[in-house]
Formats: sequence, structure tokens, C-alpha cells
Amino acid sequence: MPRRRFWSVFPASAREATDAIVANLLLHAFPARMRVRSLAWTPSLWLGTVSWVLFVSLLVTGLPLMVFYIPSTREAYQSVKDIEHVVSFGWWLRAAHRIAAHAMVIAVTLHLARVFLTGAYRNAAEREQHREWNWVIGVSLLAATVLLSFTGYLLPWDQLAYWAVTTSMNIVASAPLVGRSIRSLLLGADEVGQSALMRFYVLHIVVLPIAVAALFAYHMWRIRKDGGLAHPSEAREHQDALVVETIPTVVIRVAVVTVATWLAVTVLAILIPSPLEEAANPLLTPNPAKAPWYFLWLQEIVADTTVRLGPFTINGALVGGVLLPVALLVVTTLWPWLDRSPASTAGVWMPRQRRTQLLVFGALAVLVVGLTVVGLLRGPSWHFFWPWQPWPDMPSRF
Amino acid sequence: MKDSGFRIQDSGVRSRDSGPPAAGRQPQALSPEPLARRSVLAGLAAAAGLAGLGAQAWIVLRSLVPNVAYDPPTIVKVGRPESFADGLTFVPDRRVFIVRDGKTFRAVSAVCTHLGCTVRPEAFDEADPTDTAGRRQVQVYQFSCPCHGSRYRADGTPVSGPAPGPLAAYRLTLAPDDGQLVVDVGKEVARTSALTLP
Repeated sequence: MPRRRFWSVFPASAREATDAIVANLLLHAFPARMRVRSLAWTPSLWLGTVSWVLFVSLLVTGLPLMVFYIPSTREAYQSVKDIEHVVSFGWWLRAAHRIAAHAMVIAVTLHLARVFLTGAYRNAAEREQHREWNWVIGVSLLAATVLLSFTGYLLPWDQLAYWAVTTSMNIVASAPLVGRSIRSLLLGADEVGQSALMRFYVLHIVVLPIAVAALFAYHMWRIRKDGGLAHPSEAREHQDALVVETIPTVVIRVAVVTVATWLAVTVLAILIPSPLEEAANPLLTPNPAKAPWYFLWLQEIVADTTVRLGPFTINGALVGGVLLPVALLVVTTLWPWLDRSPASTAGVWMPRQRRTQLLVFGALAVLVVGLTVVGLLRGPSWHFFWPWQPWPDMPSRF
Repeated sequence: MKDSGFRIQDSGVRSRDSGPPAAGRQPQALSPEPLARRSVLAGLAAAAGLAGLGAQAWIVLRSLVPNVAYDPPTIVKVGRPESFADGLTFVPDRRVFIVRDGKTFRAVSAVCTHLGCTVRPEAFDEADPTDTAGRRQVQVYQFSCPCHGSRYRADGTPVSGPAPGPLAAYRLTLAPDDGQLVVDVGKEVARTSALTLP
């Protein structure tokens, strides 16, 4: 049978299907059977799988880029330009890497929102479960994803990269007590330069990918130990009637999500070119200089929260760049212990019992999206421009 | 032979639990002491191992803190005083403006106090305050930051935007050897201080 050369598993019975899961290196991460409800699109939207596929595609597209990229302040910009214009299909590899990175930030954020809205960090009373701990791992995965994206931001060494990192590092430095030490540890100097580029490069290609892979493995293992996706009234259901064999049903679903995700990245990478501004110039800040889109809402807050109380002035960088995000991160991490709604709400989309917290979450989400839109519409000298309003010509040099 | 070998091994095992019977001592007298010693040693070994790991973790972290800074020097010569025109001159290397007003020179930082972007000067005409008729115009300037829209007056005082403090003023001296202006961007001075040439 020729097809058996590529895939050994074609079970003829339920027993064989179970044995095949245990015997197969790739498949043994799955359970032998899964609930039909967990496989549907609505409870999870499959966002976790989408995130994982994006991570793998980032590893795959990142490898050829590593061959051409040179992490040196003298050569980085030119090597990215070469990838864009000289290397065969280099533009597409860079675009796919960039699109997948942006998409991963979106997918992981939506995944976190989904888990919050369905209360999936909640344990069913019957069983020994630690879903709250998996929520904490998930929050760390979101943080690692954003850091991965941000460290990649500096690598092209163009104006966009240089000034985004310069301002962010000054935000880090504004943190009380440890801020300056963290900044100099990340930059390896007082200003963004060669050692900063090298440190961000090592974080981007080694430290953070390994951290994400390890955390991901832990995340998946915990889902298995906790008995799969959270769903309502876990203990009472008639298991037999509602489960399917992993082979072939789950394998096919995962394959569909994988192919759809990769197809979307492929097409978007062809349609959306990757920007590359002028080479980094520490003497000239572009006008306007903006943070990466996922930090625009924070940039709005940083730009609007400088507080003056008589002779005392609190830098907006401390309020919007340190205190607020750290408080938000701490509350998010501890949320499973703060949420006192009944266990029966686990796995239910937006149940009435959680109305207050859902409203607060919705208000925060609207605020963040609104501030992001305002940030997108900022033009030269931080003035506000509608998309149809042309920006005035600004001299780019003195 | 086979039997005796068995017996030796057997008694060896038993001796750990209850002591050799040949010594004639009571088993209870022996049992707590070696166990306590063993657990203390195990604890010490674990502590030593942890301390070693901690020290190595510190070594790795310490290696990442640079011992030599390759940042450019803070004290630079920027040119002879007469080479500066009245008004503003930007010195790109050190991100500083030299402000000349006749014989008076000042050095104003171009680094925004909010998040460290480079501010730009904006010049515009304004009615001369000394001209009561209001017909004469003078050129005044201010600094604006492209990052978050902070604005400063010419002397560095923040006017609007998120900037928490004024633009820094740096010490300005004359080089004794060739008479060039020397700015030290590592030394902040009061904003009123200026270098006045005779």
C-alpha cells in the first residue's frame, strides 16, 4: 500500500484507533477520544491551534531570514534591504514572517479573551483540576508573544525600529527602583546601539522561542490533565454518546485549521508589502514616531497622563507605561482567584451570573480599541488627522 | 561458598537497619543517630548544590552587565564661537542646540524629557514686545517633540504636552588650547547659566 509509506495510521476499529494514538510520536499528544462539543467551532473558535500554527510558521519562515540577516548596526539595514530586493522571494519570506507575527499577537489575545468570556479558567467541582494555573501559563505565553514581536521590531534597524525601541526603553527606565537597571541590562549601554541590537537578536531567535515552545508544551499537557476543554456540567454528561475517535475526526479538524491559517498568511503576505523606512538615525526623530500597533493604546496613555501637582510632576511614562500595564497584568494573572461566580458557569459564553465583570471587560476592550484607533490617526506633531485628510509636508531634515 | 556469600550480603543488609548482632548492642540505641546524620548531610549537600547553582546563575547575569561602556565621550568641542550664527545651531553628534545671543552662549539639550526623542526647533514671527506700535516683528522659536507633541519655549520650559520637565542645559566652556566651545553633556547646569564672552 503506497499511502502507508507516509502515514502509518489507518485504523479499522475503535480499538485500533486508540492504539494508534498511543503508538504515534506526533499523535500521542492527543487523547484517544474527544468530546464532540470540544471539536465544534463555537466553544473555542480554535484560536489556540491557530496561535500554534502561526508560531510554527514563524519558526519556518524565520530560518531562511536568519541566513541573510546580519545583526550589526552597520549591516542590519542593508541586509534587510537585500532580503527585500535581492534575495529570491526574500520579500515574501519577510512578509510572511511579519504577517504571521502580527497575526499571532492578535490570535493569542483573542484566545485569552475567549477563555475569559467562557470562564474556561474555572474548575469543575468534581475533579482534580488546575485550570487557573493553565490561565497563568497562558498569560505568560501572551507576554512572551508580545516580547517576541517587539524584539523582532528592532532588527531591521530602520527609523521605525530605532525610535520605537528608544522610547520604550525610556518607559522601562521610568519604573521605580529597578527601571534603570533593567534598561541597561537590555541595552548593554546607555543608548540603543550595537549591544542592544545583539541582545534583542539573541532574545528574538533563541531565548523567547524556546520559552514559548516550553510554555506551550506545559499548556497543552495541563489541558490534557484537566480533562480537555472546559464545558458546562462536565460531570453529568453521558460521555459515550458524545465522544468521537481522535483518528480521523480530530486529525482532520486540526489539518483544516492548519491549512486555513497558513493559506491566510500566504495570501496576506503576497498582498501586503512589508514597510522599511530610512536607516536608523539617532539624530533625527521621524515625525510622527509611533509605537507598534499593539502598544498604540499605551502610547496614547503615556502621552496623556503626565500629572502635575504643584511642584511635583509625575512622568506619563510611569503612569501609562509602567503602573497601568503592570497593574493590568497582575489583575489579569490573578483573575481566576478573584472571580467568585459559580463553577457551573465554566465553558459557557458570557453567562448572566458574570454580568458585572463581563461589562467591565467590555468597557476595557472598547477603551483599548478606541485608544488604538486614536493612535492610528495621529499625524505629524501628534496632531489628529482623519484618514482622508492629507498630512502636511514636513521637512525630514534641518 | 555460595552459601557464605549469601550470608555476608544478608547480614550486611541487616546491619544497616538494626546494627550487627555480634556487637551485642540494643537495636533501638543505634537507629536514630545514623538517620539524623544522613538527613543532615543530605540537607547540606542539597544546600551546597543550590548555592552553587545560585552562584552560577549570578555569574551568567553578571556577565551580561557591561564592564566597559563604548558610548561616545560626553565632552566635545563643537567649534569656535564666531562660527555660530545668532539664534540656534544644532550639534548632531551630541543632540544639543547651541543658542547664541550676541556674546552670550548657552547649550540646550535636544532630548525630550518625556521619552527621549529629538526635539525640532520651530521658528515663527511674533510682534516685538519692545515695539509699542506693534509694527515690528521678531523671530522667535520654540521646540516641539515629534513623538508625543510636547512643546518647549526657547529657554527649555515645557509649555504643553506630556513632557514632565524642562530641556536640560549643559555646561559650556572655552577650550584653553584652541578657543573652541566645549560642551559637556554629562554636566547639567542651571538654565540661567550662560557663557558670556568678553
